[in-house]
Amino acid sequence: MKTAQEMKPNSVALIDGQPWLIQKAEFTKSGRNSAIVKMKLRNLLTGSSTETVYKADDKLEPVILDRVDVTYSYYSEPNYVFMDEEFNQYELNKDDLESVMPFIVDGMTDVCEAVFFEGKVVSVDLPTTIVRQIAYTEGSARGDTSGKVMKPAKLSNGTEVKVADFCEIDDWIEIDTRTGEYKSRAKAPV
Amino acid sequence: MKWDIFCSVVDNFGDIGVTWRLARQLVAEHGLHVRLWVDDVAAFARICPQASPDASEQLQLGVEVRHWHSQWQPVEPADVVIEAFACELPAAYVRAITEGKRRILWLNLEYLSAEDWVSGCHGLPSLQSGGVQKYFFFPGFTESTGGLLREAGLLTQRQDFVANEQARQQFLRSIGVEPIACARLMSLFTYESAGLSSWLDVLEQDSQCTQLLVPEGRILADLGRWLAVDDLKAGDSQRRGALQINILPFIEQRQYDQLLWCCDFNAVRGEDSFLRAQWAGRPLLWHIYQQEEGAHWEKMQAFLSLYCRDLSPLAGAAITSLWQAWSAQESVAEPWQAVLLHWDELSAHAEKWCEQQAEYQDLATTLVQFQQNWL
Repeated sequence: MKTAQEMKPNSVALIDGQPWLIQKAEFTKSGRNSAIVKMKLRNLLTGSSTETVYKADDKLEPVILDRVDVTYSYYSEPNYVFMDEEFNQYELNKDDLESVMPFIVDGMTDVCEAVFFEGKVVSVDLPTTIVRQIAYTEGSARGDTSGKVMKPAKLSNGTEVKVADFCEIDDWIEIDTRTGEYKSRAKAPV
Repeated sequence: MKWDIFCSVVDNFGDIGVTWRLARQLVAEHGLHVRLWVDDVAAFARICPQASPDASEQLQLGVEVRHWHSQWQPVEPADVVIEAFACELPAAYVRAITEGKRRILWLNLEYLSAEDWVSGCHGLPSLQSGGVQKYFFFPGFTESTGGLLREAGLLTQRQDFVANEQARQQFLRSIGVEPIACARLMSLFTYESAGLSSWLDVLEQDSQCTQLLVPEGRILADLGRWLAVDDLKAGDSQRRGALQINILPFIEQRQYDQLLWCCDFNAVRGEDSFLRAQWAGRPLLWHIYQQEEGAHWEKMQAFLSLYCRDLSPLAGAAITSLWQAWSAQESVAEPWQAVLLHWDELSAHAEKWCEQQAEYQDLATTLVQFQQNWL
């Protein structure tokens, strides 16, 4: 058993005999001594979705899932196609990829993990850290170099990320995919 | 229809204060049979003086108050079960819910917060095994939450009380206070704060006289240090310059409401007294319960953002600075002076805020409606 807090997006919990894919998990420190996790779940048998809330220390039964390294190949309406080393293709739609959609961009080379439940691909995990290019951001307002002052920036797919004030258009940045937060400026991927 | 409310007393009287009010209201206004399970009956007896601190079972104002013993004796679960503030229900009780044939509604009633995420979580299910129907229920300050605890007719009672000077004077004398003519009347019921001495210094030297009413509680030690008086107790009164301090006994909820209604300004804490001070329609200082990793600051800021929305920027900044300084254990001398500058605006706003909040459904009613919709 794992606590609700330990269950991450793209893991599956068996609840009342049904496998539920955790598409989103938001941790919130609530009242004193209490914290909650709000989850968006998709039932892997029926396809139905629901939102649910747990106390952070509620126990859930995780399902062990098969995983295969894949990379993103192309978009073919309405599916995103990923490929493994043996050129097997796996198609997932936008809903399947909800937790990682903000960071799917054309030409991305990240080695991802396709997640399987009973032989069927159900989602994809991104690496914890990814590198993306800033498509647009305003110029530095205060000339801050500490990295503590943040401003909004847009990636090529329109995703908005708060970045350090000194970042500029075309800069490459590291992003933590667990939180969606900017980590640092980075070198362009080779 | 039977309801069970479970309350685990962590510290102080906030948790039991809220659940006791809720239980009473569900009985009095919705005709429900309510069992209030509390693990610290002595704490309950402090806020309900007619109660026995030792009884395993007792009927108080129509509520069946049960001692929640650590050695749980099996009982038939009610139709609606409320675990207040995420307390852990007895395992045997949960098994009885799961294994029983009746549909039972299980609600986790959470703490009060004005944070944005609350409306997104209010009323959501918490999927459980065995087909158990559990939901999270959040009180709050907007229409998309469960509302606030407010008894029917509360505001009318307050208005009648405030309009009746004789009743007001009579009440103050009943708790041992001889009102000083023309004094600004204020109450103080907060946690310990290093900011207290700076506030008292200002009040002592103020051109206007202040009468500060302090029910027995955690702030008394700090107050005693400032006064250089050991063992302050109910009935004591002390004068320092323009400041008259009266120590009151720990009073029950109805009296505490009246105390708040009498005062021009109330310093309160936690959740229960914080909310009652808002229903008093007077400016207030909220000493928020300190949480790990400073989570309370976001919670306070969320409330201030909502509360100050219709205030002028300067008045909003004044009340914000006062609350922040007090909870940060800093000097409140300057923020208090700023509050005085905007006193009339803050007073009018407190009344308006109270009226605005009273337009929403109260918490007991939204709980009952939730249960009816679930059925």
